[in-house]
Amino acid sequence: MNEDLYWTLVDIANGLLSGVMLGGYYAIIAIGLALTFGVMRMVNLAHGDMLVLAAYLAVLVLQFVPISPFITLALVIPVMFGVGYALQRFLLNAISVQSMERKGMSAGFGLMSPILVTFGLSIVIAHALLGGFASDARIIRNALSYSAVRLTEDLNLSTLRLIFFVIAVAILVALHLFLRRTHAGRAIRASADDAEIAPLMGIATPKINALASGIAIAIAGVAGVMVGMSRTFQPFDGPVFLLVAFGVVIVGGLGSIVGSLVGGVLLGITQVLAGTYFGPSAQLVAGYILILFVLAVRPQGLFARRR
Amino acid sequence: MTTVLSATRLSKAFGAIHVADRVSFSIDEGEILGVIGPNGAGKTSLFGLISGNIRPDSGYVEFGGKDITRWAPQDRARAGIARTYQIPKPFTHMTVAGNLKVAAIFGGGVAEDEVEEWIDGVLAQTHLAPARNTLAGRLPLLMRKRHELARALAMRPKLLLVDEVAAGLTDHEVGEFIDMVAGIRAGGVTVLWIEHVMKTMLTATDRLLALDSGRIIAQGKPEEVINSPDVRRVYLGA
Repeated sequence: MNEDLYWTLVDIANGLLSGVMLGGYYAIIAIGLALTFGVMRMVNLAHGDMLVLAAYLAVLVLQFVPISPFITLALVIPVMFGVGYALQRFLLNAISVQSMERKGMSAGFGLMSPILVTFGLSIVIAHALLGGFASDARIIRNALSYSAVRLTEDLNLSTLRLIFFVIAVAILVALHLFLRRTHAGRAIRASADDAEIAPLMGIATPKINALASGIAIAIAGVAGVMVGMSRTFQPFDGPVFLLVAFGVVIVGGLGSIVGSLVGGVLLGITQVLAGTYFGPSAQLVAGYILILFVLAVRPQGLFARRR
Repeated sequence: MTTVLSATRLSKAFGAIHVADRVSFSIDEGEILGVIGPNGAGKTSLFGLISGNIRPDSGYVEFGGKDITRWAPQDRARAGIARTYQIPKPFTHMTVAGNLKVAAIFGGGVAEDEVEEWIDGVLAQTHLAPARNTLAGRLPLLMRKRHELARALAMRPKLLLVDEVAAGLTDHEVGEFIDMVAGIRAGGVTVLWIEHVMKTMLTATDRLLALDSGRIIAQGKPEEVINSPDVRRVYLGA
Protein backbone atom coordinates (compact mmCIF):
# COMPACT_ATOMS: atom_id res chain seq x y z
CA MET A 1 0.00 0.00 0.00
CA ASN A 2 1.04 3.55 -0.68
CA GLU A 3 2.64 4.84 2.49
CA ASP A 4 0.95 8.25 2.44
CA LEU A 5 -2.47 6.73 2.00
CA TYR A 6 -1.81 4.31 4.83
CA TRP A 7 -0.92 7.07 7.26
CA THR A 8 -3.92 9.13 6.17
CA LEU A 9 -6.18 6.17 6.89
CA VAL A 10 -4.50 5.58 10.26
CA ASP A 11 -5.04 9.24 11.16
CA ILE A 12 -8.69 9.05 10.23
CA ALA A 13 -9.20 5.75 12.03
CA ASN A 14 -7.53 7.09 15.15
CA GLY A 15 -9.64 10.24 14.91
CA LEU A 16 -12.86 8.26 14.51
CA LEU A 17 -11.97 5.96 17.39
CA SER A 18 -11.11 8.65 19.87
CA GLY A 19 -13.99 10.79 18.57
CA VAL A 20 -16.42 7.99 19.35
CA MET A 21 -14.88 7.52 22.79
CA LEU A 22 -15.06 11.26 23.46
CA GLY A 23 -18.69 11.15 22.29
CA GLY A 24 -19.72 8.75 25.03
CA TYR A 25 -18.28 11.11 27.59
CA TYR A 26 -19.97 14.09 25.96
CA ALA A 27 -23.27 12.21 25.98
CA ILE A 28 -23.29 11.80 29.75
CA ILE A 29 -22.27 15.43 30.23
CA ALA A 30 -25.41 16.30 28.27
CA ILE A 31 -28.00 13.70 29.26
CA GLY A 32 -28.80 15.35 32.59
CA LEU A 33 -29.49 18.68 30.89
CA ALA A 34 -31.74 16.94 28.35
CA LEU A 35 -33.58 15.06 31.09
CA THR A 36 -34.15 18.22 33.14
CA PHE A 37 -35.45 20.07 30.14
CA GLY A 38 -37.55 17.18 28.90
CA VAL A 39 -39.34 16.57 32.19
CA MET A 40 -39.44 19.97 33.91
CA ARG A 41 -39.15 22.24 30.86
CA MET A 42 -36.38 23.99 32.75
CA VAL A 43 -32.91 24.84 31.55
CA ASN A 44 -30.48 24.29 34.38
CA LEU A 45 -27.70 26.82 33.79
CA ALA A 46 -25.85 25.41 36.78
CA HIS A 47 -25.54 22.01 35.08
CA GLY A 48 -21.86 22.50 34.26
CA ASP A 49 -21.13 23.69 37.78
CA MET A 50 -22.68 20.49 39.11
CA LEU A 51 -20.04 18.56 37.14
CA VAL A 52 -17.27 20.67 38.62
CA LEU A 53 -18.77 20.32 42.08
CA ALA A 54 -18.70 16.53 41.71
CA ALA A 55 -15.08 16.64 40.53
CA TYR A 56 -14.11 18.62 43.66
CA LEU A 57 -16.08 16.21 45.79
CA ALA A 58 -13.95 13.38 44.41
CA VAL A 59 -10.80 15.43 45.07
CA LEU A 60 -11.93 15.98 48.66
CA VAL A 61 -12.57 12.27 49.22
CA LEU A 62 -9.18 11.36 47.76
CA GLN A 63 -7.46 13.78 50.13
CA PHE A 64 -8.63 11.66 53.03
CA VAL A 65 -8.66 8.15 51.63
CA PRO A 66 -6.22 7.00 48.98
CA ILE A 67 -8.53 4.89 46.83
CA SER A 68 -9.09 4.49 43.13
CA PRO A 69 -10.94 7.53 41.75
CA PHE A 70 -13.58 5.16 40.39
CA ILE A 71 -14.50 4.15 43.94
CA THR A 72 -15.26 7.78 44.83
CA LEU A 73 -18.33 7.35 42.62
CA ALA A 74 -19.87 5.30 45.44
CA LEU A 75 -20.06 8.56 47.38
CA VAL A 76 -20.33 11.06 44.54
CA ILE A 77 -23.40 9.44 42.95
CA PRO A 78 -25.64 9.41 46.06
CA VAL A 79 -24.49 12.86 47.18
CA MET A 80 -25.14 14.42 43.78
CA PHE A 81 -28.47 12.61 43.58
CA GLY A 82 -29.40 14.21 46.89
CA VAL A 83 -28.26 17.62 45.68
CA GLY A 84 -30.36 17.31 42.52
CA TYR A 85 -33.37 15.99 44.42
CA ALA A 86 -33.26 18.73 47.05
CA LEU A 87 -32.60 21.45 44.47
CA GLN A 88 -35.75 20.53 42.57
CA ARG A 89 -37.93 19.71 45.55
CA PHE A 90 -37.20 22.74 47.67
CA LEU A 91 -36.18 25.40 45.16
CA LEU A 92 -37.02 24.81 41.51
CA ASN A 93 -40.50 23.29 42.04
CA ALA A 94 -41.49 26.55 43.70
CA ILE A 95 -40.60 28.60 40.63
CA SER A 96 -41.88 26.31 37.86
CA VAL A 97 -44.34 27.53 35.24
CA GLN A 98 -47.18 25.74 37.04
CA SER A 99 -46.45 27.17 40.45
CA MET A 100 -45.95 30.67 39.04
CA GLU A 101 -49.35 30.41 37.37
CA ARG A 102 -50.84 29.20 40.62
CA LYS A 103 -49.46 32.32 42.28
CA GLY A 104 -51.07 34.47 39.62
CA MET A 105 -47.88 35.30 37.70
CA SER A 106 -47.66 35.00 33.94
CA ALA A 107 -46.36 31.80 32.33
CA GLY A 108 -43.52 33.85 30.83
CA PHE A 109 -42.37 34.68 34.34
CA GLY A 110 -42.42 30.97 35.12
CA LEU A 111 -40.21 30.24 32.11
CA MET A 112 -37.76 32.98 33.00
CA SER A 113 -37.35 32.49 36.72
CA PRO A 114 -35.60 29.06 36.63
CA ILE A 115 -33.09 30.55 34.18
CA LEU A 116 -32.32 33.39 36.58
CA VAL A 117 -32.27 31.17 39.65
CA THR A 118 -29.99 28.52 38.11
CA PHE A 119 -27.72 31.23 36.73
CA GLY A 120 -27.44 32.60 40.24
CA LEU A 121 -26.84 29.11 41.55
CA SER A 122 -24.05 28.65 39.01
CA ILE A 123 -22.31 31.75 40.38
CA VAL A 124 -22.84 30.63 43.98
CA ILE A 125 -21.39 27.17 43.36
CA ALA A 126 -18.35 28.53 41.50
CA HIS A 127 -17.58 31.04 44.25
CA ALA A 128 -18.13 28.51 47.02
CA LEU A 129 -15.63 26.22 45.28
CA LEU A 130 -13.23 29.12 44.92
CA GLY A 131 -13.55 29.81 48.63
CA GLY A 132 -13.09 26.15 49.55
CA PHE A 133 -10.39 25.07 47.13
CA ALA A 134 -8.78 28.27 45.76
CA SER A 135 -8.32 28.80 42.05
CA ASP A 136 -5.50 26.31 41.46
CA ALA A 137 -6.08 23.90 38.62
CA ARG A 138 -6.72 20.41 39.93
CA ILE A 139 -6.75 16.98 38.40
CA ILE A 140 -7.92 13.71 39.84
CA ARG A 141 -4.75 11.67 39.68
CA ASN A 142 -5.14 8.13 38.48
CA ALA A 143 -3.01 5.25 37.26
CA LEU A 144 -4.62 5.09 33.85
CA SER A 145 -3.85 8.61 32.62
CA TYR A 146 -1.09 7.53 30.28
CA SER A 147 -2.14 4.00 29.53
CA ALA A 148 -3.44 2.98 26.14
CA VAL A 149 -5.01 -0.05 24.54
CA ARG A 150 -3.12 -1.04 21.46
CA LEU A 151 -5.39 -2.30 18.70
CA THR A 152 -2.83 -2.64 15.88
CA GLU A 153 0.71 -1.43 15.58
CA ASP A 154 -0.46 2.09 14.77
CA LEU A 155 -3.98 2.21 16.18
CA ASN A 156 -4.48 2.78 19.84
CA LEU A 157 -6.99 4.01 22.30
CA SER A 158 -6.66 5.74 25.64
CA THR A 159 -7.64 3.20 28.30
CA LEU A 160 -9.34 5.92 30.32
CA ARG A 161 -11.45 7.04 27.37
CA LEU A 162 -12.42 3.45 26.63
CA ILE A 163 -13.53 2.93 30.24
CA PHE A 164 -15.46 6.21 30.16
CA PHE A 165 -17.18 5.19 26.95
CA VAL A 166 -18.23 1.85 28.42
CA ILE A 167 -19.50 3.54 31.59
CA ALA A 168 -21.35 6.15 29.53
CA VAL A 169 -23.09 3.58 27.36
CA ALA A 170 -23.94 1.52 30.45
CA ILE A 171 -25.49 4.59 32.10
CA LEU A 172 -27.49 5.46 29.00
CA VAL A 173 -28.79 1.88 28.66
CA ALA A 174 -29.67 1.77 32.35
CA LEU A 175 -31.48 5.12 32.08
CA HIS A 176 -33.39 3.89 29.05
CA LEU A 177 -34.47 0.70 30.84
CA PHE A 178 -35.39 2.67 33.96
CA LEU A 179 -37.60 5.06 31.99
CA ARG A 180 -39.26 2.26 30.00
CA ARG A 181 -39.65 -0.55 32.47
CA THR A 182 -40.20 0.86 35.95
CA HIS A 183 -43.22 2.57 37.45
CA ALA A 184 -41.21 5.60 38.49
CA GLY A 185 -39.77 5.77 34.97
CA ARG A 186 -43.25 5.69 33.49
CA ALA A 187 -44.33 8.44 35.84
CA ILE A 188 -41.36 10.55 34.70
CA ARG A 189 -42.27 10.00 31.06
CA ALA A 190 -45.92 10.81 31.74
CA SER A 191 -44.93 14.07 33.48
CA ALA A 192 -42.63 14.94 30.59
CA ASP A 193 -45.48 14.29 28.18
CA ASP A 194 -48.13 16.37 29.94
CA ALA A 195 -47.37 18.02 33.27
CA GLU A 196 -50.98 19.09 33.72
CA ILE A 197 -52.53 15.65 33.22
CA ALA A 198 -49.97 13.58 35.15
CA PRO A 199 -51.25 14.67 38.60
CA LEU A 200 -54.79 13.79 37.56
CA MET A 201 -53.54 10.23 37.11
CA GLY A 202 -52.37 10.25 40.72
CA ILE A 203 -48.74 11.08 39.97
CA ALA A 204 -47.15 13.27 42.64
CA THR A 205 -45.34 15.55 40.19
CA PRO A 206 -43.27 17.46 42.79
CA LYS A 207 -41.67 14.20 43.88
CA ILE A 208 -41.35 12.83 40.36
CA ASN A 209 -39.68 16.05 39.21
CA ALA A 210 -37.30 15.83 42.15
CA LEU A 211 -36.49 12.22 41.26
CA ALA A 212 -35.78 13.15 37.63
CA SER A 213 -33.59 16.03 38.78
CA GLY A 214 -31.76 13.76 41.22
CA ILE A 215 -30.99 11.28 38.45
CA ALA A 216 -29.90 14.08 36.10
CA ILE A 217 -27.48 15.53 38.64
CA ALA A 218 -26.21 12.10 39.72
CA ILE A 219 -25.25 11.37 36.09
CA ALA A 220 -23.68 14.83 35.88
CA GLY A 221 -21.70 13.78 38.96
CA VAL A 222 -20.32 10.72 37.16
CA ALA A 223 -19.45 12.94 34.21
CA GLY A 224 -17.76 15.36 36.62
CA VAL A 225 -15.46 12.68 38.04
CA MET A 226 -14.60 11.63 34.47
CA VAL A 227 -13.83 15.23 33.57
CA GLY A 228 -11.61 15.52 36.60
CA MET A 229 -9.72 12.37 35.69
CA SER A 230 -9.05 13.39 32.12
CA ARG A 231 -8.19 17.09 32.36
CA THR A 232 -7.49 19.85 34.84
CA PHE A 233 -10.36 21.86 36.23
CA GLN A 234 -10.94 25.06 38.16
CA PRO A 235 -13.91 26.45 40.10
CA PHE A 236 -15.12 28.56 37.16
CA ASP A 237 -15.06 25.79 34.53
CA GLY A 238 -18.76 24.98 34.78
CA PRO A 239 -19.91 27.02 31.77
CA VAL A 240 -17.45 25.16 29.52
CA PHE A 241 -19.28 21.90 30.22
CA LEU A 242 -22.64 23.60 29.97
CA LEU A 243 -21.66 24.60 26.43
CA VAL A 244 -20.62 21.05 25.59
CA ALA A 245 -23.97 19.84 26.91
CA PHE A 246 -25.87 22.43 24.85
CA GLY A 247 -23.89 21.41 21.77
CA VAL A 248 -24.71 17.73 22.21
CA VAL A 249 -28.38 18.47 22.83
CA ILE A 250 -28.60 20.72 19.78
CA VAL A 251 -26.98 18.14 17.51
CA GLY A 252 -28.76 15.07 18.90
CA GLY A 253 -32.11 16.60 19.71
CA LEU A 254 -33.82 16.94 23.08
CA GLY A 255 -35.66 14.14 24.77
CA SER A 256 -33.85 11.26 23.13
CA ILE A 257 -31.24 9.10 24.82
CA VAL A 258 -29.98 7.75 21.50
CA GLY A 259 -29.89 11.36 20.30
CA SER A 260 -27.51 12.41 23.04
CA LEU A 261 -25.17 9.50 22.32
CA VAL A 262 -25.16 10.18 18.56
CA GLY A 263 -24.92 13.94 19.18
CA GLY A 264 -22.00 13.36 21.52
CA VAL A 265 -20.25 11.04 19.08
CA LEU A 266 -20.70 13.40 16.10
CA LEU A 267 -19.41 16.31 18.14
CA GLY A 268 -16.52 14.19 19.40
CA ILE A 269 -15.48 12.97 15.94
CA THR A 270 -15.75 16.47 14.46
CA GLN A 271 -13.56 17.93 17.17
CA VAL A 272 -10.94 15.22 17.09
CA LEU A 273 -10.60 15.17 13.29
CA ALA A 274 -10.46 18.96 13.15
CA GLY A 275 -7.81 18.86 15.85
CA THR A 276 -5.81 16.27 13.91
CA TYR A 277 -5.79 18.22 10.67
CA PHE A 278 -5.99 21.86 11.65
CA GLY A 279 -4.44 21.92 15.11
CA PRO A 280 -5.94 22.18 18.61
CA SER A 281 -7.43 25.63 18.07
CA ALA A 282 -9.68 24.22 15.34
CA GLN A 283 -11.38 21.80 17.74
CA LEU A 284 -13.84 24.24 19.28
CA VAL A 285 -14.44 26.07 16.01
CA ALA A 286 -15.27 22.81 14.23
CA GLY A 287 -17.65 21.86 17.04
CA TYR A 288 -19.48 25.15 16.71
CA ILE A 289 -19.61 24.86 12.92
CA LEU A 290 -21.28 21.46 13.35
CA ILE A 291 -23.77 23.01 15.79
CA LEU A 292 -24.52 25.88 13.40
CA PHE A 293 -24.90 23.43 10.53
CA VAL A 294 -27.42 21.31 12.47
CA LEU A 295 -29.30 24.43 13.59
CA ALA A 296 -29.56 25.57 9.98
CA VAL A 297 -30.52 22.22 8.46
CA ARG A 298 -32.43 20.45 11.20
CA PRO A 299 -33.07 22.85 14.09
CA GLN A 300 -34.96 20.26 16.16
CA GLY A 301 -31.84 18.05 16.26
CA LEU A 302 -31.19 14.74 14.55
CA PHE A 303 -33.19 12.54 16.90
CA ALA A 304 -35.83 14.93 18.19
CA ARG A 305 -39.14 13.41 19.19
CA ARG A 306 -42.21 14.62 17.40
CA ARG A 307 -44.26 16.94 19.58
CA MET B 1 -78.35 7.27 49.64
CA THR B 2 -74.83 8.32 50.53
CA THR B 3 -73.50 11.56 49.18
CA VAL B 4 -70.30 11.03 47.19
CA LEU B 5 -69.42 14.62 46.46
CA SER B 6 -70.75 17.93 47.62
CA ALA B 7 -69.80 21.47 46.78
CA THR B 8 -70.71 24.26 49.15
CA ARG B 9 -70.83 27.88 48.00
CA LEU B 10 -67.84 27.38 45.70
CA SER B 11 -66.63 30.62 44.14
CA LYS B 12 -63.80 31.38 41.78
CA ALA B 13 -63.13 34.48 39.72
CA PHE B 14 -60.42 35.14 37.16
CA GLY B 15 -60.28 38.92 37.25
CA ALA B 16 -63.83 40.14 36.58
CA ILE B 17 -65.02 36.80 35.22
CA HIS B 18 -66.83 34.55 37.67
CA VAL B 19 -66.38 30.95 36.60
CA ALA B 20 -68.07 29.77 39.79
CA ASP B 21 -70.37 31.93 41.84
CA ARG B 22 -71.55 30.35 45.09
CA VAL B 23 -72.08 26.95 43.50
CA SER B 24 -73.68 24.40 45.83
CA PHE B 25 -74.77 20.92 44.83
CA SER B 26 -74.25 17.31 45.77
CA ILE B 27 -74.22 14.00 43.98
CA ASP B 28 -75.33 10.66 45.38
CA GLU B 29 -73.59 7.34 45.02
CA GLY B 30 -74.44 5.61 41.72
CA GLU B 31 -76.04 8.69 40.23
CA ILE B 32 -75.44 10.18 36.77
CA LEU B 33 -75.66 13.94 37.16
CA GLY B 34 -75.57 15.96 33.93
CA VAL B 35 -74.17 19.49 33.74
CA ILE B 36 -75.47 21.79 30.99
CA GLY B 37 -75.00 25.44 30.18
CA PRO B 38 -73.90 27.71 27.34
CA ASN B 39 -70.26 28.25 26.43
CA GLY B 40 -68.43 30.05 29.20
CA ALA B 41 -71.01 29.07 31.80
CA GLY B 42 -68.28 27.56 33.99
CA LYS B 43 -68.89 23.85 33.36
CA THR B 44 -65.29 22.88 32.74
CA SER B 45 -64.10 25.22 35.50
CA LEU B 46 -66.41 23.34 37.85
CA PHE B 47 -64.55 20.16 36.90
CA GLY B 48 -61.27 21.95 37.54
CA LEU B 49 -62.47 22.89 41.02
CA ILE B 50 -63.43 19.28 41.74
CA SER B 51 -60.30 17.66 40.26
CA GLY B 52 -58.04 20.17 41.98
CA ASN B 53 -56.57 21.99 38.96
CA ILE B 54 -58.28 25.17 40.14
CA ARG B 55 -58.28 26.35 43.74
CA PRO B 56 -61.50 28.10 44.78
CA ASP B 57 -61.47 31.63 46.19
CA SER B 58 -64.02 30.51 48.76
CA GLY B 59 -66.34 27.65 49.55
CA TYR B 60 -65.41 24.00 49.95
CA VAL B 61 -65.59 20.58 48.32
CA GLU B 62 -66.27 17.38 50.21
CA PHE B 63 -65.60 13.95 48.80
CA GLY B 64 -66.51 10.75 50.61
CA GLY B 65 -67.20 12.79 53.75
CA LYS B 66 -63.78 14.49 53.75
CA ASP B 67 -63.03 18.13 53.07
CA ILE B 68 -60.74 18.00 50.03
CA THR B 69 -60.73 21.72 49.21
CA ARG B 70 -56.98 22.04 49.84
CA TRP B 71 -55.94 18.66 48.42
CA ALA B 72 -53.53 18.48 45.50
CA PRO B 73 -54.85 16.96 42.25
CA GLN B 74 -52.82 13.75 42.69
CA ASP B 75 -54.30 13.15 46.15
CA ARG B 76 -57.81 13.63 44.80
CA ALA B 77 -57.02 11.26 41.94
CA ARG B 78 -55.82 8.63 44.39
CA ALA B 79 -58.91 9.13 46.54
CA GLY B 80 -61.05 8.17 43.53
CA ILE B 81 -61.79 11.22 41.38
CA ALA B 82 -61.07 10.70 37.68
CA ARG B 83 -61.52 13.26 34.95
CA THR B 84 -61.68 13.27 31.16
CA TYR B 85 -61.12 16.27 28.91
CA GLN B 86 -63.25 17.47 26.02
CA ILE B 87 -60.13 17.59 23.88
CA PRO B 88 -58.50 14.26 24.72
CA LYS B 89 -55.12 14.61 26.35
CA PRO B 90 -53.35 11.25 26.16
CA PHE B 91 -49.67 10.85 26.97
CA THR B 92 -48.89 10.89 23.27
CA HIS B 93 -45.48 9.19 23.45
CA MET B 94 -46.77 6.18 25.31
CA THR B 95 -48.84 3.28 24.05
CA VAL B 96 -52.49 2.93 25.02
CA ALA B 97 -51.50 0.19 27.47
CA GLY B 98 -48.73 2.42 28.87
CA ASN B 99 -51.18 5.26 29.47
CA LEU B 100 -53.61 2.95 31.23
CA LYS B 101 -50.82 1.41 33.29
CA VAL B 102 -49.78 4.79 34.65
CA ALA B 103 -53.40 5.57 35.52
CA ALA B 104 -54.01 2.15 37.10
CA ILE B 105 -50.83 2.07 39.18
CA PHE B 106 -50.60 5.67 40.33
CA GLY B 107 -54.26 6.63 40.35
CA GLY B 108 -55.94 3.31 41.07
CA GLY B 109 -53.35 1.67 43.28
CA VAL B 110 -53.68 -1.50 41.19
CA ALA B 111 -51.06 -4.08 42.22
CA GLU B 112 -48.18 -4.84 39.89
CA ASP B 113 -49.17 -8.45 39.18
CA GLU B 114 -52.81 -7.59 38.53
CA VAL B 115 -52.28 -4.59 36.31
CA GLU B 116 -52.19 -6.37 32.93
CA GLU B 117 -55.42 -8.20 33.62
CA TRP B 118 -57.07 -5.05 34.94
CA ILE B 119 -56.08 -3.08 31.84
CA ASP B 120 -57.40 -5.83 29.55
CA GLY B 121 -60.76 -5.54 31.28
CA VAL B 122 -60.85 -1.76 30.82
CA LEU B 123 -59.79 -2.05 27.17
CA ALA B 124 -62.56 -4.54 26.49
CA GLN B 125 -65.12 -2.35 28.23
CA THR B 126 -64.15 0.68 26.11
CA HIS B 127 -63.74 -1.19 22.77
CA LEU B 128 -60.03 -0.37 22.67
CA ALA B 129 -58.54 -3.85 22.84
CA PRO B 130 -57.20 -3.82 19.23
CA ALA B 131 -55.33 -0.56 19.93
CA ARG B 132 -53.55 -1.91 23.03
CA ASN B 133 -50.04 -1.34 21.68
CA THR B 134 -50.69 1.71 19.51
CA LEU B 135 -48.98 4.97 20.45
CA ALA B 136 -51.74 7.07 22.01
CA GLY B 137 -50.72 10.09 19.93
CA ARG B 138 -51.54 8.18 16.75
CA LEU B 139 -55.14 7.31 17.62
CA PRO B 140 -57.94 8.76 15.45
CA LEU B 141 -60.58 10.96 17.14
CA LEU B 142 -63.13 8.32 18.14
CA MET B 143 -60.39 6.11 19.55
CA ARG B 144 -58.90 9.07 21.39
CA LYS B 145 -62.24 9.72 23.02
CA ARG B 146 -62.51 6.06 24.04
CA HIS B 147 -58.95 6.26 25.31
CA GLU B 148 -59.73 9.33 27.38
CA LEU B 149 -62.56 7.44 29.07
CA ALA B 150 -60.52 4.23 29.35
CA ARG B 151 -57.62 5.96 31.09
CA ALA B 152 -59.98 7.53 33.61
CA LEU B 153 -61.61 4.13 34.21
CA ALA B 154 -58.23 2.48 34.67
CA MET B 155 -57.88 4.61 37.81
CA ARG B 156 -60.71 2.62 39.44
CA PRO B 157 -62.57 5.84 40.21
CA LYS B 158 -65.45 6.28 42.62
CA LEU B 159 -66.44 9.47 40.83
CA LEU B 160 -65.97 9.96 37.10
CA LEU B 161 -66.05 13.45 35.59
CA VAL B 162 -66.88 13.26 31.87
CA ASP B 163 -66.35 16.44 29.84
CA GLU B 164 -68.17 16.57 26.48
CA VAL B 165 -67.36 13.16 25.20
CA ALA B 166 -70.11 13.37 22.54
CA ALA B 167 -68.84 16.55 20.88
CA GLY B 168 -67.92 15.91 17.25
CA LEU B 169 -69.26 12.35 17.16
CA THR B 170 -72.07 10.83 15.06
CA ASP B 171 -75.36 9.79 16.71
CA HIS B 172 -74.32 6.17 16.51
CA GLU B 173 -71.00 6.87 18.21
CA VAL B 174 -72.71 8.97 20.88
CA GLY B 175 -75.00 5.99 21.51
CA GLU B 176 -71.92 3.86 22.14
CA PHE B 177 -70.71 6.30 24.80
CA ILE B 178 -74.14 6.52 26.45
CA ASP B 179 -74.12 2.72 26.77
CA MET B 180 -70.54 2.76 28.03
CA VAL B 181 -71.30 5.33 30.73
CA ALA B 182 -74.42 3.37 31.72
CA GLY B 183 -72.20 0.29 32.07
CA ILE B 184 -69.70 2.22 34.16
CA ARG B 185 -72.45 3.40 36.48
CA ALA B 186 -73.78 -0.15 36.72
CA GLY B 187 -70.31 -1.06 37.98
CA GLY B 188 -70.86 1.26 40.95
CA VAL B 189 -69.20 4.44 39.70
CA THR B 190 -70.87 7.81 40.22
CA VAL B 191 -70.80 10.04 37.13
CA LEU B 192 -70.79 13.80 36.66
CA TRP B 193 -71.22 14.49 32.97
CA ILE B 194 -70.92 17.72 30.99
CA GLU B 195 -72.53 17.69 27.57
CA HIS B 196 -73.75 20.18 25.04
CA VAL B 197 -75.99 17.77 23.17
CA MET B 198 -79.38 18.05 24.92
CA LYS B 199 -80.67 14.73 23.64
CA THR B 200 -77.79 12.90 25.28
CA MET B 201 -78.39 14.67 28.56
CA LEU B 202 -82.13 13.96 28.53
CA THR B 203 -81.78 10.23 27.95
CA ALA B 204 -78.60 9.42 29.81
CA THR B 205 -78.78 11.28 33.11
CA ASP B 206 -80.77 10.94 36.32
CA ARG B 207 -80.60 14.58 37.20
CA LEU B 208 -79.43 17.81 35.58
CA LEU B 209 -77.61 20.89 36.76
CA ALA B 210 -77.84 24.03 34.59
CA LEU B 211 -75.09 26.66 34.86
CA ASP B 212 -74.90 30.18 33.51
CA SER B 213 -72.13 32.71 34.26
CA GLY B 214 -70.82 30.50 37.05
CA ARG B 215 -74.20 30.27 38.83
CA ILE B 216 -76.56 27.32 39.10
CA ILE B 217 -79.79 28.43 37.48
CA ALA B 218 -81.71 25.17 37.77
CA GLN B 219 -81.30 21.63 39.05
CA GLY B 220 -83.56 18.59 39.23
CA LYS B 221 -85.18 16.10 36.88
CA PRO B 222 -83.90 16.49 33.31
CA GLU B 223 -87.26 17.50 31.73
CA GLU B 224 -88.01 19.99 34.50
CA VAL B 225 -84.59 21.62 34.17
CA ILE B 226 -84.79 21.89 30.41
CA ASN B 227 -88.26 23.39 30.59
CA SER B 228 -87.48 25.82 33.37
CA PRO B 229 -87.83 29.47 32.32
CA ASP B 230 -84.24 30.43 33.21
CA VAL B 231 -82.74 27.61 31.15
CA ARG B 232 -85.02 28.44 28.19
CA ARG B 233 -83.98 32.06 28.42
CA VAL B 234 -80.27 31.23 28.46
CA TYR B 235 -80.47 28.70 25.65
CA LEU B 236 -83.11 30.20 23.41
CA GLY B 237 -82.84 33.85 24.34
CA ALA B 238 -86.61 33.76 25.03
